[in-house]
Amino acid sequence: MEQIYGIFLYTVFLLTMGGIYAVLTLGLNIQWGFTGLFNAGVAGFFAIGAYTSAMLTTAASHRHLGGLGLPAGAGMAAAMVASALIAWGVARICIRLRSDYLAIATLGLAEIFRLVLKNENWATNGARGISLIPKPFEHLPEPWNQVAMLLLVFAIVLVLYGLLERAQRAPWGRVMSAIRENEAAARAAGKDVERLRIEAFILGAAVMGLGGALMAHHIKFIDPNMAEPVSATFLVWVMLVIGGSANNRGAILGAVLVWTIWSTTEIITTRLPAEWALKAAYLRIFLVGLALQFILQRYPGGIFRERRLRTVAPPSSQKGGSHP
Amino acid sequence: MKHIRHLAAAGAAALLAAGGSAAIAADVKVGSAAGITGPIEGLVPPILAGRNLAATHVNEQGGILGGGTYMLVPGDSQCNPKAAVDAGTKLVNVEQVVAVIGPSCSGATNGMAQSVTIPAGVVTLSDSATAPMISFLEDGDLVFRAAPSDGYQSSALARFAWDAGLRKIAVTYANDDYNAGLGEAFVAAFEQIGGTITGKQAHEPDRQSYRSELSTLAGGGADALAVFAYFGGSGITILRNSLENALFDRFLGADGMMDNSVIEQLGADTLRGKITLSQPAPEAEGDSGPGESYTAFAEAFMAAGHEPTAPYVSHGYDVAFLMALAIEKAGAADRGKISAALREVANAPGMVIRPGEWQKAREAIAAGEDINYEGASGAIEFDENGDVSGATYTFNGVGDDGTWTPMK
Repeated sequence: MEQIYGIFLYTVFLLTMGGIYAVLTLGLNIQWGFTGLFNAGVAGFFAIGAYTSAMLTTAASHRHLGGLGLPAGAGMAAAMVASALIAWGVARICIRLRSDYLAIATLGLAEIFRLVLKNENWATNGARGISLIPKPFEHLPEPWNQVAMLLLVFAIVLVLYGLLERAQRAPWGRVMSAIRENEAAARAAGKDVERLRIEAFILGAAVMGLGGALMAHHIKFIDPNMAEPVSATFLVWVMLVIGGSANNRGAILGAVLVWTIWSTTEIITTRLPAEWALKAAYLRIFLVGLALQFILQRYPGGIFRERRLRTVAPPSSQKGGSHP
Repeated sequence: MKHIRHLAAAGAAALLAAGGSAAIAADVKVGSAAGITGPIEGLVPPILAGRNLAATHVNEQGGILGGGTYMLVPGDSQCNPKAAVDAGTKLVNVEQVVAVIGPSCSGATNGMAQSVTIPAGVVTLSDSATAPMISFLEDGDLVFRAAPSDGYQSSALARFAWDAGLRKIAVTYANDDYNAGLGEAFVAAFEQIGGTITGKQAHEPDRQSYRSELSTLAGGGADALAVFAYFGGSGITILRNSLENALFDRFLGADGMMDNSVIEQLGADTLRGKITLSQPAPEAEGDSGPGESYTAFAEAFMAAGHEPTAPYVSHGYDVAFLMALAIEKAGAADRGKISAALREVANAPGMVIRPGEWQKAREAIAAGEDINYEGASGAIEFDENGDVSGATYTFNGVGDDGTWTPMK
């Protein structure tokens, strides 16, 4: 019985983490899936969101700035605003860069953010991170505290999904895919391509900031290690590509699926004999790679492909270019 | 959709299979979380070997709770709070461990304790988390550590430096949760004694060269350079750059540098007399030399083919052994009883138990006697925060045989 209860709690945790990653993946989907912006700096906006919310919601502390003790909801809203503002500054400078150049610029910027957070001890407590971050519903008895957190994350994912589905179908979303597929054509049609690209970048970054804030509250602790590129940028990319870019359902499914693979492989490798303990940790990373390879081979365009809208198109409708 | 159903079914089957094989009667499972992959992967294998040696001692000498096997279930905390929380959840919920030893890093400990083990009422006992912050968690007496908080080692090293006649010291530290804490505490301690810090600089580990930082630091006219770094991350490179460019020829450091690869790569003759590293060590008994507990551990550890002077291996042994003692004392694999039992078996008074003396401890507990574990890493007396209060330190230099040797 305890065993089943334990697995239930683990499943709740797994889905909560999967849901938080789904928020990040949805953010990336706005930038890459909708608009074709190659943002390789997810970790940067994740970190800005996480630190903003952490600083605003923790109790006063001499270790870091802030400590205003605001409720978690206010912290999350502020995280979105802070990420959006910084994304606006970044976008003003970088948005005109072609995809691979934008990737290099954003990757570099994310590292800069991480190193600033790591070195400005007076503001962020440096490498030692911010602790005692309040977690929503943590005072409820187990398992309700964890279930309530899962429901909160689930609700946020659902609301985001609804809004983004709406946005993707709206003229705004269609202009975005026009920019992605053929920027020159969009420009020729009189669209202010640069402004629209900035909009998508800011919106995506705000959603990533929200994901960062959720992670900070869920873990109750944040340090610069959590914003290292492997688990905060590339993992999110893998989730989106596997789920299916430009498809919001794909983004969510990819996040939950990849996180499940990431996490559950350890349960298997733990069963190896004790003298394998060291090798098992590396074997697990191999298993993760193998599983991802398998899925990518099986579903080269992502599990869910982009759904093209059926519009009342003129007879000479353009051929839908395949999405990279 | 069909494929997704298959995937979901496969996932559920894997979970059930994992759960089903977990409960074997009489065996006691304790989580063993460590940064197996990630930034300190070079330091962890010997620490895990230390923990496993303790489990071997328990199982060879009659087992736990009347003959059960004491099992350490590994979890990879990656020195990253996110990974530590994930690993901790699996240990606590899927593996149903009684308690957790580890994780290695302070940040990982902080995340795992707050997000997983404290809400679940599970005791954690870390062997190498040294950040002062961990003392201040609202832990309901569930978070313990056998590694002394940073401040102690830094003060001891600062005192050593002053006594050795050094008055002006430049400080560089790797910017991670462990070394940054040590470095800053060292600066404060040395200035308090009356010494001068001519410059301090944080550096990012794993770079090819630190010449420019070191030249800047050398400009202050310091007598010595205090290096707080992991040997493999930046420690060796900093020593090499300093020696090659004749920037410093006297070095101080802490236990993150205690590895024979430092001597192997730079040469025993080059380093002899120039470098001193502090390391937590058990109370010396008698005139000099390491204590009886440490010797008992070191001999067993060497016989198993490992190097007992590596950083935190004696702590690794101690946490695994102490946790077994606490479970035996509690009399049941009951999460709620571990915290109180841990204090009882670790703190004086009581019959002294040393590393490897499982059978003696088991019989004493069965006879209802109070026991007091005197660990390989020190006496281990937990205070109200679950911290070990203070420790003694040895100061090591390069010995005649080309290994790290305690200096008088």
